Amino acid sequence: MGAGAEAEEPVDRELLRRMQRGEEAALEALYARYAGLVYTLALRVVGDGELAREVLQDTFLRSWDGADSYDAARGRVAWWLMGIARNGAVDLLRSRPHQARLREQGRLSQALAAADASASPAVAIATSAITNALATLSPAQRAAIELAYYGGLTQTEIARELNEPVGTIKSRTRDAMERLRKALGPRDR
Amino acid sequence: MTADHHDDIAADLAAYALGSLSAAERARVDAHLATCTDCADQIARYREIVGALPLALVPAMPPRAGWDRVRAALHARADAPSRPLSVPADADESHAPRRATARTGGQRVVRWARIARWPAIAAVLVALGMWNVVLERRLASSPAPPEVEALSRRPGRLVILQGAERPNASARIFVAVDGHHGHMAISGLNPLPRARTYQLWFVPKNAPAESGATFGVDARGRAWVTITVARSLDDVRAIFVTEEPAPGSRRPAGKPLLAADAWR
Repeated sequence: MGAGAEAEEPVDRELLRRMQRGEEAALEALYARYAGLVYTLALRVVGDGELAREVLQDTFLRSWDGADSYDAARGRVAWWLMGIARNGAVDLLRSRPHQARLREQGRLSQALAAADASASPAVAIATSAITNALATLSPAQRAAIELAYYGGLTQTEIARELNEPVGTIKSRTRDAMERLRKALGPRDR
Repeated sequence: MTADHHDDIAADLAAYALGSLSAAERARVDAHLATCTDCADQIARYREIVGALPLALVPAMPPRAGWDRVRAALHARADAPSRPLSVPADADESHAPRRATARTGGQRVVRWARIARWPAIAAVLVALGMWNVVLERRLASSPAPPEVEALSRRPGRLVILQGAERPNASARIFVAVDGHHGHMAISGLNPLPRARTYQLWFVPKNAPAESGATFGVDARGRAWVTITVARSLDDVRAIFVTEEPAPGSRRPAGKPLLAADAWR
């Protein structure tokens, strides 16, 4: 599994190198690999399909423009892309009167929900790993993570929302990340 | 660098990786990371976790013509496509564009690659390449345009419930901005036997109580619950949690264990 994981990154970095040379086909390949995840993340943050589409488009345009600013020392291409998406979504959330953009939408069925049962074993295992790791968090810790990452709130804003001291929020956030690290990392000897 | 200063920065690293610091706080951490390999290592570990968080989300179908729109926007732009933009490398919003060359340091590259060998993270990373392929196949085979369920999102409303009958219990409800979905974080309730369940109620101003969720708590009295909000909170006069016979009641039979005084 580890060997497979490391095989993914060279593919992504090669795509970025080709994008730096102006190869549109490389951007299309990157889109094919990550559009679903980017869109899912964007939708989670902005909560509106049309805005999420804007974030999706903006993310890949920014990845095209910023391909030569990607710093391999800072992490994987996939995380770099998710960072662009997440930050773009949070910026959009903060810059527009969000409530005014929402339309009356009935609850729609999710086409993929039933299909998840037949997802590949690797996807199921990975989803299970993250889901199980998140399940080790207390409700307050999970809220801290979600408000920070998906909500785009600073620690001070979260403290204000929850009427708790900033120090408490920072400790809770750090404890939550440490729990996730222990759940996902190698066992301590 | 004093030990106190280092501890202060260390306290902010998780928030930094999540993109949850103010600009001033970020700049302070950035300055420290330039000189502290321990903290830089910690950030690298946190970045791997943050990067994987979206995999826990329920997948949503990207729009069918998404790539066409990207390509059209790319072709329509007047600027040279190779003009570099200052884009954040990740959620911590460091804005210094840097060339992705070996000069960034083989040791720093190895740092996150070593972390990527953690078994669970490795599984996550392999799945990334397959995740989108699975979605694309579904998209191609779907006979109708995909529909996406509204996910919980940045909280539009926050409701705090205190223990009316359980002083040590509390709950926080985060209602999404669309007003119909949300999550509830509970603590301090006792685990129930199989035949019983906790139930969240919203009582409209001129109608009977409506159920928002039924749930149990873990051995530590905690739960994280997805809830349904059938109507606007502006039309609700009471919100509370009761204990009911499993799998839940049509109308609340138990006494309110947790109740909200007010909400905004």
